Amino acid sequence: MAVIENNVGAYPVSPHANRGGLKAGQNRIGLLLLLPAAIAFAAVILYPFLSALGLSLFEYTVEMMEPRFIGFENFVKIASDPDVWAAFWTTAIYVVLTTTGTLVAGLGWALIMNQPFTGRAVLRSLSLLPWVLPSTVSAFIWGWIFNSRYGVLNAFLMELGLIDYPQAWLSTPEGAMLAVVLTKIWLSIPLFMSFFLAGLQNLDKEQIDAARVDGAGNWAVLRDHILPHLRPVLMIVVVLGVIGNLQQFDTIYALTGGGPVRATTVLSVEVYRRAFEQWDIGFASAVGVLWVAALLPPAFLYLRMLVKGN
Amino acid sequence: MFDLSSRQAKIVFFAALAVIGFFLFFPLYWLVISSLKANAELYRVVPTPFPTMPSLEHFIRALTTGKLPMYLMNSLITSTCSAALVTLLALYAGFSFAKYRYFGRQPVMLFMLSAQMFPFGLLLISIYPLMSELNLLDTRPGLILSYIVFALPVSTYMLYSYFTQVPDELIDAARADGASDLRIFHTIVIPISIPPIVTVFLYSFMWSWNDLLYSMTLIVSDEKRTIGPGLLLTYLNEVNSDWGGAMAASLIASAPIVAAFMFLQRYFIQGVTAGAVK
Repeated sequence: MAVIENNVGAYPVSPHANRGGLKAGQNRIGLLLLLPAAIAFAAVILYPFLSALGLSLFEYTVEMMEPRFIGFENFVKIASDPDVWAAFWTTAIYVVLTTTGTLVAGLGWALIMNQPFTGRAVLRSLSLLPWVLPSTVSAFIWGWIFNSRYGVLNAFLMELGLIDYPQAWLSTPEGAMLAVVLTKIWLSIPLFMSFFLAGLQNLDKEQIDAARVDGAGNWAVLRDHILPHLRPVLMIVVVLGVIGNLQQFDTIYALTGGGPVRATTVLSVEVYRRAFEQWDIGFASAVGVLWVAALLPPAFLYLRMLVKGN
Repeated sequence: MFDLSSRQAKIVFFAALAVIGFFLFFPLYWLVISSLKANAELYRVVPTPFPTMPSLEHFIRALTTGKLPMYLMNSLITSTCSAALVTLLALYAGFSFAKYRYFGRQPVMLFMLSAQMFPFGLLLISIYPLMSELNLLDTRPGLILSYIVFALPVSTYMLYSYFTQVPDELIDAARADGASDLRIFHTIVIPISIPPIVTVFLYSFMWSWNDLLYSMTLIVSDEKRTIGPGLLLTYLNEVNSDWGGAMAASLIASAPIVAAFMFLQRYFIQGVTAGAVK
């Protein structure tokens, strides 16, 4: 940010102009330009956010005309609600599996796509596709692959002799979790890859050539040069990945609806169900507040990196 | 980067390429292939690797009998409007953050950016009653306004990153000629910023086009429903699942966004990774 601070305020204005006055006028224009976005932001993001925080202290269900203040009672209820705890636990598993999986596959794919070979450009473009597909489409694709009767996964595993009869993947807790995790990894690889590729662009090639001359092999180059170089990008990617995965709703809802029973009910699905299926707005908000609390540490890290990066 | 002259290195490299490549591309291949199979061939316990008798029946059915064209049109309207709105708002805000210095500028910017981390699902809990009070529930304007949530923070940041690179001299020279700031912005800065503007437009368009949660909750009547929930309700329900139709409709629903993206991907990736990679 320092760079910008220095640039602004250093406008070469005419020697006769009142510097301070001109700047003050310009800054008023700056505020004016910000105003529309600030109003929109306040209306659809800030106000709803604060309002949801507030609603967590109210009892507000579909039968009630007006919300009734109950203090921290919703949170007391949450503390003894095994379903909410289960949702937290499910979310933790989901976030850890998706983030690690995408990290490994995304980094691997970026390293591969960084290597010159024929057809690389086409492959690189095509590998961005999962990212842009509508979430319902991603859910359809994986739902069809995991289909219990006609799914290609069952056919494939039976062909390999790994299973004897077709599995109803989406009807078992582990199978359903596997499906939602694989779907998310699949659609996040392109984003992770893009970040890593951007990071690899300014890798010092001469340094690697020098290491090669000194006899370093591929593994040594990866460990001593490439990975250390990618460390800052890696941090950003992990934090962004955790934030995104903590929030994931669409593909899970479309693929399993949070089931079977509650096996894939992560926090986003839990809040949605409480709010828009049971219409228990107060309780849903309270769960949402804890959800935000879970998002705070990665969000804080991300912002700190942005400030430092600038 | 890697030296692939040795046989062992080649094997490791191409094995990794094959495994990750298969994971990435097979689902896409399977989507296309399945959409082209007639039902008799589609519903087989041992699937054929490619259609023996390719058929467009699912595409024809999706486009003629279902409500898919209506859902597509609805998505096109809401996504275009909300993307235009977000781009416009982010344009002025990004320029303001990049080229002016006023009290609270940096905290406000960071706060707006951090809002990207407020869970969309939680915001919806309060957006719903808000839209209800404004009589915007189950209306396109309501959905369009709500879609600002998804893309405004990041769009603002992307344009901000770009505008910081616009040389101050350019603006100062025009100021010295007596042009007003707004005029400078409109006639000098915007014309040289088309690539990032298009990127931001596409980015927010993509968020709206791909949304399921907000549309599913804020839109009740079928004639305003967008493609995400439209697909879900049409092809997968308790009574029957039409997988061939689902695959064909998926391809149709993805076509516009994929086409736009392929055309603009270079700018797009620069924009999205901006700021994170120095």
